[in-house]
Parts: sequence; C-alpha cells; structure tokens
Amino acid sequence: MKSGKFWAWLTFGLGAAYFIVPLLATLEFAMRMRRGTYSFDAFAVVFGDPRFQQTFGYSVTAAIFTILLGVLIVVPTAYWIRLRMPHIRPIIEFITLLPLVIPAIVIVFGYIRMYGSNSALPFLGSTRGTDALLVIGYTVLALPYMYRAVDTGLRTIDVRTLTEAAQILGAGWVTIIGRIILPNVLIAVLSGAFLTFAIVIGEFTLASLLNRPAFGPYLQNIGANRAYEPAALAVITFAITWGCMSVIQMLARFAPKSANRPN
Amino acid sequence: MTDTFLSIRGVKKSFGPTTVVRDFNLDVGRGEFISFLGPSGCGKTTMLRIVAGFEEPSEGSILVDGKDVTRLKPNQRQIGMVFQAYALFPNLTVSQNIAFGLRVAGTPKAQAAARVQEMLVLIGLPQLGDRYPYQLSGGQQQRVALARALAPKPRLLLLDEPLSALDAKVRVSLREEIRSIQKELGITTIFVTHDQEEALSISDRIVVMNNGRADQVGTPFEIYNRPTTRFVANFVGTLNVLEGRIVDPQTGSVQVAGQNIRLGRDLGPKRSGEAVSLALRPEAVSLGRTAERNGTLQGTISDVHFLGSVIRVRTKIGTGTVSLDTFNDPAVPPPSSGAPAEIAFAPRDLMVLGD
Repeated sequence: MKSGKFWAWLTFGLGAAYFIVPLLATLEFAMRMRRGTYSFDAFAVVFGDPRFQQTFGYSVTAAIFTILLGVLIVVPTAYWIRLRMPHIRPIIEFITLLPLVIPAIVIVFGYIRMYGSNSALPFLGSTRGTDALLVIGYTVLALPYMYRAVDTGLRTIDVRTLTEAAQILGAGWVTIIGRIILPNVLIAVLSGAFLTFAIVIGEFTLASLLNRPAFGPYLQNIGANRAYEPAALAVITFAITWGCMSVIQMLARFAPKSANRPN
Repeated sequence: MTDTFLSIRGVKKSFGPTTVVRDFNLDVGRGEFISFLGPSGCGKTTMLRIVAGFEEPSEGSILVDGKDVTRLKPNQRQIGMVFQAYALFPNLTVSQNIAFGLRVAGTPKAQAAARVQEMLVLIGLPQLGDRYPYQLSGGQQQRVALARALAPKPRLLLLDEPLSALDAKVRVSLREEIRSIQKELGITTIFVTHDQEEALSISDRIVVMNNGRADQVGTPFEIYNRPTTRFVANFVGTLNVLEGRIVDPQTGSVQVAGQNIRLGRDLGPKRSGEAVSLALRPEAVSLGRTAERNGTLQGTISDVHFLGSVIRVRTKIGTGTVSLDTFNDPAVPPPSSGAPAEIAFAPRDLMVLGD
C-alpha cells in the first residue's frame, strides 16, 4: 500500500510540475522587469495601462451579455428537449459541437457578407450593431460549453416530474423555468457561464477582424511589442481563469441537494 | 352514492398502435376515496394522468363537478397530485414547497403563511418548515408532498402510487394517515396502487384494472368476496380454483373430480355438460364438515406446513389442489401428508369464475 501511495504521489507531482513549472517560469520572468531585482513593475505597468482597463472592461461587458444571451437560449432549449423531444437530442448535440469544428473566421466572413455596409442588414455599419454581432458570435463559440454544462445539470434532476408537480399546482412555463428549473441547474449554468467568460476574455479572431477594442487583440498587441508585460498578462489571465474555477467550486457547495432519484 | 363529482366517460387512450386504456367509465361521488388497483402496465397510472391533464384521451371525456375538463391544461383543473417520486422542489424549503401553489395563485403572504402552518400541523410536522427536502426521510417527504397538494384546496386529489417507494412499516402508517386526512377534509380522491392490501384497507370503492379495462368496480368487500372475473378473483387475495363440469345449471349441481357438489343457486345461461371454474378463498375452507360448511370434497393431503399458530394444508382434489389454513390446536397433531382428507365449505362461498 505504501509503495502504491508513493507512485501515486510521484505521478501527481510530475503532472503538477508539468503545469506549474512553466507558470512559475513565466511569473519569474515577469518579475525581472527592474534590472537586478524582482519586482511587480510589469504588473503595475499592465494595470496602469489605460488600454488594459478599457479592453478588459469591454470584454467583461461583452462576456456578461454573452452569458445572458447564452442562458436565455440554452436553458429553455435544453429543458424543452429533455422534457418533450428527447429523440432530437443527438441532432442538437451535433449542432452545439459545430463551433468546435468551424473556425471563428468563418463566422466573421459570414457576418461581412450578410451584415456588411452594402447588405440589406448593415449592422456592421454601426458600432452597436457590431457589438451585438460580436456578442452573438461569442455566444456561438461558447455554445458547446454552455449546452453541455446545462444539459449535465438537467440530468441531475427529474425534469418531467418536477415540471408536472409545478404544473398541477397552477404554474405556467415562465414560473416553472424561472422558479424551479433554473434554480436547480444554477450551478451548472454558472459553470457554463464561467467557461463562457474565460472564452470571451481570451478570444482574438472575432474581436480583431470586427475591429472591436477587446482584451484578446490587446493581449496579442502587447505580446508583439513588449517583453515583460506579456508575461505579466499571461499570469494575470491564468489567475482570472483559476479564480473563475474556484468560484465554481465554492458555489457547488450551495447547489440544492436532492434526496430523490432523478429519472 | 352521494352526488357524482367526477365522471369519466368512454375514455380510450392509445399510444400509436398500442391501446393502454379501453372504454373506461366511472362515476365518483363527492368525498369518495377510489383506488385504481391492478398490475404494472394495466393502464391505471395512464388513467390517472388523463384525469390530471398530463395525457389527452384519444376518445371520451372527463367531467369534474359537472364541468368538462377534458381539454383543460393541468394548471387549470384545480387538482392536487402526489407523485410516486415525491417531486418536492429541491431548491425550496418545506414551507416554500407547501406555499408554492398558493404563491402561484397570488395568495397574500400572510394568508399563505397561515395556510402553510395549518398544513404542517395537519401532517404532523410543525417544526420542519425550514428544512430542505434532502434533510427529510422518505415518509416525511411524502407527507410534505401531500400537504403541498392540499394547500391550495384542490377540488380533487390524485395519488400515484405514493407509498411504493417507502418501507413496509411506513407504508402502513402513512396510508392510514392519508385516509384520515382525506376523511377530515372530505376531498374526492383517486389513489393508484398495485398493492391490494393498500386498496382493500383504505378505499370506499376499488376499480380493478386489467389490460386497460376496468374489470370490476366495487367496495373492498365486493371485490374480495364477489369477484366477477377470473382476473379479479386471482389478482385480489389468494384463490383455490377447481375445474368442474355442470350437471344441472338450475340447481347449481357441478361435478368436480368425479364428485358432485351443489351450489344451491341457478347458474344462469350455463348449460349442462359445460366446463366451469369454481373458486374458494382459503379462509372459506376447513378440514372436516361443520354445521355451516356442509359442502364437501374428498381428497388427499399433499403438503403440510407448520407455521406456528397457523398450519397450512394443501389437499389434492382430482387434478387440482386446494390450499387452506387452519389454526394450530395443541391437543390435535397436524394432519399427515398422504392421509385422506375431507375439505368442507359453505356452497354460497363457492365462486363461479367468469372469463
């Protein structure tokens, strides 16, 4: 048994080192901006850069709208499929996986053709129109993750019986989804939301080709022109992502527990 | 029966080529407790779901208090329902679960709170309002489910095998509680179960269902003692079946295993020489003639099981077997396997089985 534990810990240590060593190296490099000593100067430059604040704020706002749009589309869809049309689940799952296969640049070229300034729907001719198309594009990119997360959450509850119990008590669809279904899959929705957040924060292609002041193009720009600041940005981005994952873990403690066996 | 509150008229339900409910007709009186009893797949839950509005009948209609509700949605029927899997909302406390129907109906908060407290007292759980479903036992959850169904004062209460997920002891106590609450509130109730003891013990009337049809509707006494079909006789209680041939249908004379017995009643349209199945409950048979049990058949004891206070004896009569229970008498040793035996019964207790 002791021998087994040793090998388990050794494997774990090697795996952890594979991820942690490069990250520590990046952090160490980022702290070398001031010659001869370790300092957080690179981080200070990044946080003090007005472009960082502007692009980060823009991407956070876009992420919030993307999450809201994703939840509004995915939760009722996944719920309805589970409740009434389980036979088309494979088709929906296939559709939600398409963004993993089709590059983002295809979406952009599609946008230009359909919504360019010379088309019948010239959304790209205005800033807000472009912002809206960007959010929709992000929603599509995050679809595989949001759908999977929500669908997994719905599996843990007896969707049909809970729906019928609410219906027989007089509830309509809005009440059922808003007061029964959504609260019981909230943790799953939040998981999808944080994955969406991470995707939007780091996304480059859509934002760059649509010429929006998002965080992804800023990261690429800094990386092409500076030395220590990109390393600091990489560490900051890791911290944000890990922070999101930690919040998911913490929120999982507050998930409604069910003593029932789900369908 | 008091005035008809629920009328089910000519209901048929098919799923594709499969018909699960056939020509179902039933009138339920106001305040009556009706059980739908039958094996799995007989259509009892489907029929309940049709009454609730979760399934639409292929044919027929449902009338509640004189109003046709066949096409109404479940949330428009003012019906309470208790599900087999409890179906408590995991994100709401016990009080919030019970209050759910009241809040949906727009009941003021103070009024809803008072009603919730009333329900908690009714189900005997006044201290558990702040608990979540996962913190309750199965029996407690089902009580809360019952309270939630009753809180909005529904016109009709439906229970879909509410006790089947509970252990035996809790089942017995909870079914009596359900019946007691139902009597106190006077609410018309339909209870679906596959457990005949449940149905027999708490129902005003029982609908025994088989293959989508209501085979027989009657009081527990009628269902048990006067089954009108072979299925009902076999499904409800234990039955001894003897195959015979009619000698004289007018006097009820039948030959069983070469022996003549007289039922003492007209067998109706049956003809002499026709095959007939006779049935006897084990408690209607005894070893040896008595004053009341003067109908007899000779046979041979094939099995004797000493169960303590009861001795179970199986007697071979021709090609058939009759099982009977007799009380242990310390002064009388049990009969021996292989010994000749005379079984006795009252002719009126012999049931003629239909198809």
